[in-house]
Amino acid sequence: MNITGYTLLEIIKLVKKRQITIPEVTSFFYNRIKKFNQRLNAFITVLDYQQIKPGIPIAVKDNFCTKGIKTTAASKVLADFISPYESTVTDKLIKNGLTIIGKTNMDAWAHGSSTETSDFGPTKNPWNIDYSPGGSSGGSVAAVSAYLVPAAIGSETAGSIRQPASWSGVIGLKPTYGRVSRYGLIAMGSSLDCPGPLTISVADAAFLLKVIAGKDNYDATTSFQEVPDYLKKLEKNQKFVIGITDEYFEGVLPEIKNKIFTCLNIFRKLGHKIKKIKLISPKYAISVYTIIQRAEVSSNLARYDGIRFGNPREFLGSEAKKRIMLGTYTLSHGYYESFYKKAQQFRTLIIEDYIKAFKEVDFIISPTTPTTAFKLGEFEKYPFFGELMDMLNEPASVAGLPAINLPAGLDKNNLPIGMQIVGPYFYEDRILNLANQFEKETDYFGVIKKGILRYQ
Amino acid sequence: MKNYLPIIGLEVHVELKTKSKMFCQCSASYFNRPANSQTCPVCLGLPGALPVPNQKAIEWTILLGRALNCQINHFSKFDRKHYFYPDLPKGYQISQHDQPIAKDGWYKLKNYKGEEKTYKIRRVHLEEDTGKLIHTTDGTLIDFNRSGVPLVEIVSEPDFHNAEEVKEFLEELQILIRYLDISDADMEKGTMRLEPNISLICRATKQSLTKNKINLPNYKVEIKNINSFRFVKQAIEYEIQRQSDIFNQGKQPKQETRGYDAEKNLTYSLRVKEEAADYRYFPEPDIPPMIFKNDFLNKLFKKVPELPNEKLLRYQNKFKLNYSDAFILTRNKKMADYFELILNQLSKRKKEIRIIDYPKEIAKFIVNKKIAWQLSAEQFIEKAIKLMTPVVTDTNLLEKVIKEVIKNNSQAVSDYKKGKTNVLMYLVGQAMKDLKGKAEAKKVLEKIKEKLS
Amino acid sequence: MTKKTRLKIEQILHLADLAGVKLTEAEVKKYQDQLSQTIEYVSNLKNYHVGKAKITYQTTNLSNIFFPDGEKNQRAFSISEALLNAKNKKDNFFKTKKIL
Repeated sequence: MNITGYTLLEIIKLVKKRQITIPEVTSFFYNRIKKFNQRLNAFITVLDYQQIKPGIPIAVKDNFCTKGIKTTAASKVLADFISPYESTVTDKLIKNGLTIIGKTNMDAWAHGSSTETSDFGPTKNPWNIDYSPGGSSGGSVAAVSAYLVPAAIGSETAGSIRQPASWSGVIGLKPTYGRVSRYGLIAMGSSLDCPGPLTISVADAAFLLKVIAGKDNYDATTSFQEVPDYLKKLEKNQKFVIGITDEYFEGVLPEIKNKIFTCLNIFRKLGHKIKKIKLISPKYAISVYTIIQRAEVSSNLARYDGIRFGNPREFLGSEAKKRIMLGTYTLSHGYYESFYKKAQQFRTLIIEDYIKAFKEVDFIISPTTPTTAFKLGEFEKYPFFGELMDMLNEPASVAGLPAINLPAGLDKNNLPIGMQIVGPYFYEDRILNLANQFEKETDYFGVIKKGILRYQ
Repeated sequence: MKNYLPIIGLEVHVELKTKSKMFCQCSASYFNRPANSQTCPVCLGLPGALPVPNQKAIEWTILLGRALNCQINHFSKFDRKHYFYPDLPKGYQISQHDQPIAKDGWYKLKNYKGEEKTYKIRRVHLEEDTGKLIHTTDGTLIDFNRSGVPLVEIVSEPDFHNAEEVKEFLEELQILIRYLDISDADMEKGTMRLEPNISLICRATKQSLTKNKINLPNYKVEIKNINSFRFVKQAIEYEIQRQSDIFNQGKQPKQETRGYDAEKNLTYSLRVKEEAADYRYFPEPDIPPMIFKNDFLNKLFKKVPELPNEKLLRYQNKFKLNYSDAFILTRNKKMADYFELILNQLSKRKKEIRIIDYPKEIAKFIVNKKIAWQLSAEQFIEKAIKLMTPVVTDTNLLEKVIKEVIKNNSQAVSDYKKGKTNVLMYLVGQAMKDLKGKAEAKKVLEKIKEKLS
Repeated sequence: MTKKTRLKIEQILHLADLAGVKLTEAEVKKYQDQLSQTIEYVSNLKNYHVGKAKITYQTTNLSNIFFPDGEKNQRAFSISEALLNAKNKKDNFFKTKKIL
């Protein structure tokens, strides 16, 4: 049975109805990976066929520790690190009938927005292999976009799910900070990191979020809030007030702006209200994010001394060293107050700004990224480029809010454009509800299907 | 020769005896365990591992803070302290920086003579211990069993001026910790560690030396690797002498960390700190803050047991013990507990005791080792009652027994008459044996003397 | 770039030392430029008055998340699991170059 383009939930249904067996599903995706991965370099590790445990195969970013499976975070430091323990996210996937078929490529340590800082070569954008898929979850989005897996798990510190999802034309959900356990996720920015699903349907995202979310006794920052049945919450269309703000359209390519305006009209048509609001300019969030993230990075990468595992610090790549140095600077004596502390104070203002906004509106919609995908090699030229590419994602990350990227069309070069919906804390169910309405109405203008059909 | 005033501050580390480590469920008792047999992703600092704090360790730190009369911060948090060392798996230690669990305390120390002095406690905070290094000729070996064991740091103000009072204070602190039952506080085993910092004020300089306003010296020498109270004293005394010598040569001691070599009884330079270390502290993002509400604290404070000095006062007031007996008894909680157990059980047998303030006697029996307090309470009480019961002499029986003894020990009697007075005690002993204690020895002696004269 | 925000070579070397990274001469030059640029950018916060805003070092609104002492350990490693990824070991120990 040819299941190309079937959603994860559709496949699960077919298996339940015995219309297809798990080994058939596994070999279907295994063969697709064998056929197309060389072109895309979406995976760092593909399991040997015999090694794959029974279950519906999905891919996880290579910064989730997987017991007995190589876990590299795309850095040579961990080139041969076999994790002796399982991350909470992968543990939950396995316990819910899914299986890991491979570990996807990423920017080394998730430092980047193009997957080019990977020590194992860049991932190519499935829409045009001269282009970057975005990052840092570039391997995960490429694998989903080209349908090498029905779904994947990525992680985001600020934009690393949404931005590559936008550039590669898939759905990427970044949950509320603390909704999904970080235990076993190789830390980048500890106060920002969030695992999340990358899928080809909203229902799949709802399903996977339900699987991976919840309180974890091994992660003190996970929430006690009950995990709703997100799938069930999709059933009844709700009506919302959607906020838009000029600050989030500044510096955005006109082509992208126009597509987002088209989408807003669709929301109006579906009966939602659009309301203009004001938010603090994202240009400050870039600074806040950069300072906090670099500080946390400098700390989180201190454990890599090559003694207990991995290679010595000499194996750290250029981007990692640069970030460690900046983080060290912003935390060091004499600079802490004006950088780290100031950024954490500003963070409070950003949170308050959002809380105020969410008294008026249910969501804030904007473009996910100011541009569509860049050619491979462009990032090298600018030290700070990733942060600028993620500028529309960073405020929500700094505040710990949930957000989603939905494909909103293609640009003149046939590259995907993404729309972002940001909501209040633990509003994932309503974000998914709105996204589902959009999916049913537009089918993403055929973007996801077209992406898959390129890989036959 | 100039006159110097030593200024000594203390940093004391105490390993808590919780069952689990500070941030993971691994066993915290690592003594004599095979190397690296008690680890997990968290205490090995593996990629992706996260810390979750041990509740008991936090509560115990609050109790210790309370016992040291500290203010417990209503808002406290953990911070990361960064430095590289092979025994520190994460490249940072989870510690507490600007909002420790407890701060601004004091402790009033009375020595055995009853002299009193109050020392200020700057802070009490919680952190994690490091792994253990073993240095061999071809490399350094690391065991992470100790990594992540809860460690409390107590920092005093520089209120000490000689080695003796430091030793007394530490002994008292050890007693206090053992009373709280939160650590073995054993210097030899390293569950209690001391780092004194010492500097001298030259009295010849016109420094204001009024008690409240000492201008602290602009350098500090910290001493590490001290593993007994005796060595604490020796190390500090050595260091005071060393620094005085430097001043006497017209030089200034360096700001540095020195180690103590117990065999040679000297301190040696470990590293010279030219500037303060830059630990790049920042709040630990993996651990939400701790908020201690009054309800919670008040409930917890009830778990603070009666502390040595409170017990001492009670013993003085309630049992009328003298200061020195009460002091000795209360310096060892087990001994004090035993004392009270005996009193408690004796209260059921009051009728057998003729002495009104018998607790004083019991205290003396224990303190003067007249009766071993290692005995079971029953045995102790039997002996104690006997010692405290005046013997009623049965005069008829006494007459009879002494007659017998004189008859049966003619040799001794004749020796006595020849002037060997020391045989008298032998005859008394014989009589006492036959009397089975039903006579006072003094009376027996008098009677025998009388009979033989 | 203003002179003030440009990092000095000594600062780069000091940071590298604190951070435990070794840099080539070329990297020192490169980072001097790139870090200075980044610092210049993020300094835009200085112009924004944050008043007495408290710091947010984590966004969860959680507090007092602890585990009960003596809880069953379900993550314990065997000695061989603990040492699995070590490049240098001896007996049951991790091993590193001699330090003083």
